[in-house]
Amino acid sequence: MPPGSLALLAQGAAVSLLLAAVAIVGGTLLAVLLAALAFSRFAVVRAAYRVYVYVVRGTPLLVLALLVFYAMPALDLRTGPYIAGTLVLIVYTGALLAEVFRGGVLAIPRPQWESARSLGLPPLAMFRKIVAPLVTRYTLPPYVNVCVMTVKASSVLSIISVWELTLAAREIIERTFAVFTILGLAAAFYFVMCFGIDRLGRLFERHLALKGFAGERA
Amino acid sequence: MNFGRWVAIYGPTYLTALGWTAVTAVGAACGALIWGCALLLIRLSAGRWGARGVDAYVQLFRNTPVLLPIYLIYFAFPMIGLPWPAVVCGGLALILQNAAYISEILRGSVNAIDRVQFDAARSIGLAPWSTFRKVVLPQVLVYSIPALGNQTVLLLKDTSLLSAISITELTMQAKLLTEQTGAAYEAFIVVALLYLLLVSGTEVLFRVTHRAVRWR
Repeated sequence: MPPGSLALLAQGAAVSLLLAAVAIVGGTLLAVLLAALAFSRFAVVRAAYRVYVYVVRGTPLLVLALLVFYAMPALDLRTGPYIAGTLVLIVYTGALLAEVFRGGVLAIPRPQWESARSLGLPPLAMFRKIVAPLVTRYTLPPYVNVCVMTVKASSVLSIISVWELTLAAREIIERTFAVFTILGLAAAFYFVMCFGIDRLGRLFERHLALKGFAGERA
Repeated sequence: MNFGRWVAIYGPTYLTALGWTAVTAVGAACGALIWGCALLLIRLSAGRWGARGVDAYVQLFRNTPVLLPIYLIYFAFPMIGLPWPAVVCGGLALILQNAAYISEILRGSVNAIDRVQFDAARSIGLAPWSTFRKVVLPQVLVYSIPALGNQTVLLLKDTSLLSAISITELTMQAKLLTEQTGAAYEAFIVVALLYLLLVSGTEVLFRVTHRAVRWR
């Protein structure tokens, strides 16, 4: 193995994980907002939500990334690839998660809504005590899936020269031609991150189920 | 520059690139379906170790980004004496990755088949291979059509990554046009619209197929 490459790949992996973490946090906040739009009283707002999801899910992440990367300087925003990449990743994760949350809200049984309303819960309390806990439990498995996808999707940003694990690997390969070793190591790093997130999600799922919640369908 | 003129000037360039995207997507989708079926067959028939091997394969590809196999095949094949064209290398990487997902989709559908059918197949003396080909596979494929449609859409979008190994498909073409003309966003907006069109078309195609062949 070329000397020093393991440290470089580890640094790249840290950047990938950081990118994914920022995108997941930002995407989750964005998705909650978007999911609220999906249930708006106004048809125009609901239509806007559908267009957003349709466009973001119907175009490759790379096209969105390149579009933002090239268009931002033209709009006098000289932000560089990191800001552009993070923004695009948030927009992308947000669209996927918004659909997940929307599905979760639709899965809430009707009696829950009716009893909440008959108790006279104000909207905020209804969200905090009924909607949020139920949707969290319903959507945890697909949420974790999207998190894994986000880690993998962050590799696409290497093409707009965001230095993370995939770009680190590519740079080392172009210098040393140690294709198998380097890509094998990079794959191992990705595998540990993605598999780790998956297992962590399952642990958390069990933890939520153990707390015994009236909303559990079991 | 306004879009009408843009499309008038660069329309033919886009069409060629669209052709590459379509060809790689269709080719890779067919290849992935075949390899996915083969993985399913291995899982069902090759005993415990076969199933474990397929499991390891699926986990590996599910937890790593597609760009890695793309780079691996593109950079490594010339080194081991296989100087294949970039399109073939990229297509192969997409096949390997998507087959992992497809074999999982198909496995889910196998569970939807009534156990009685396996007994029935045995009782009329069908050999295991005939059972797979004539009883299991047709039903599994039909049950899986919606999920396969989703996977095909993902594959179609992933063909954009082949621009990283210098294949002039839609995304690469947009990048080239942007760099040649200095126009900041026109090229990519047109390409994004083309992708939306392709994705919607694929979705409609799978929906129509599903409606046509599902059990009445």
